Amino acid sequence: MKKIYLGIIFSLIYTSSLLAQSNTTFTYSIGFGTGDLGEFVQAASFRGVSVDFRKMVQDNIGIGFGLGWNTFYEELASDTYTQGNSSLTGKQYRYSNNIPITLSTAYFLKPGETVNPFFGLGIGTMYTLRNTDMNLYTLEQEAWNFLLQPEIGIQYMVNDITALTISGKFNYGFKAGSELDAAQSYFALNVGFAFLN
Amino acid sequence: MKKVIMGVLSISLLWGCKPAGPEFVEDIDVVYTTFDDTFDFAGKGTYAMPDQIVTDIEIDNGDTTFVFMNAALAAPILNEIDAQMSAYGWSKIDPATSQPDIVVMPAAIKSTTVYYSYWYDWWYGGWGGWYGGYWGWYYPPYYTVSSYTTGSLIITMADPDANDNPIRESQTAWIMVGNGLFVGDYNVSRVTKAIQQGFTQSPYLKTN
Repeated sequence: MKKIYLGIIFSLIYTSSLLAQSNTTFTYSIGFGTGDLGEFVQAASFRGVSVDFRKMVQDNIGIGFGLGWNTFYEELASDTYTQGNSSLTGKQYRYSNNIPITLSTAYFLKPGETVNPFFGLGIGTMYTLRNTDMNLYTLEQEAWNFLLQPEIGIQYMVNDITALTISGKFNYGFKAGSELDAAQSYFALNVGFAFLN
Repeated sequence: MKKVIMGVLSISLLWGCKPAGPEFVEDIDVVYTTFDDTFDFAGKGTYAMPDQIVTDIEIDNGDTTFVFMNAALAAPILNEIDAQMSAYGWSKIDPATSQPDIVVMPAAIKSTTVYYSYWYDWWYGGWGGWYGGYWGWYYPPYYTVSSYTTGSLIITMADPDANDNPIRESQTAWIMVGNGLFVGDYNVSRVTKAIQQGFTQSPYLKTN
């Protein structure tokens, strides 16, 4: 009985090192706002993470899900905002929290090799929470955008189960709801580790 | 396990990177102005203003009395309003001797918001708390009481003759509100800056 167990364990380890069953990445994410988001916060976001899990259905094709979080922030110098007869002057503090949630697929060009480029596409939703703070008040706007997320990247195998990964994702969240009147989009540069087993 | 550690690490890293916000009380000072666009400011030229700033009213047995700001604090505020009016071509007159085109009324108010909250803090000592097999709540819960005070300077302009209505009161032609956190250091430069900004963003007040 023990031998059978050992046999199963060995065969599992053997197959896992030969052929990855899954490909999971944990990355630090830098965001660059584009379109309406880029106008709202011009500064790049250095606060972000991204997690992607892909089940390998073939040697080179993975299907799974992705989750990310990028926080955009900018402090605007004191300025005057005029609407009709009224003007308001003060500093603005702008925040945009973007959480893309996707079902995704990835195609790996060189599975099993040291340098393994890939591209993929995620489809899902992006939660956008935008705050414009002035004085003691905040204007809060939110949206659940329909999201398309193309991705391109490279994984560099460090050993049989660990790889360094770098990828670029473009998050395009279509206009949604009535609070934000434009599509929300940003480019994310993700750097981190991939674990294969 | 590696994945869990990585996940926890990245979430806690992110938590530590919550973006900043206002750092100084001046950062949240705002100045609001609005005006009646049917009012002919350019056609007027004289104004009168009281030499005290109302901060409160007291009602005692039906008698209403005004509470005024300390003269030492009021003086630089009133001087700044005079300076700005003069720069826009207005001349100050004594209402006892002649009728002004408009009256300028400054007022200052303070408002304190008190809030109160409590929570039960759960056992926490890193992940060890989970492995210990039990985790619970401290008792009694923490209570916090906190408050903030905001101060506003309100300046209004009205034509004292434009009171041809059933309640015999003049409609305000211009209003300015400078608002910020009141911190009790009586830094009058925040107020004079607000007045300067109020006039800067209201160029239609110019008569010259």
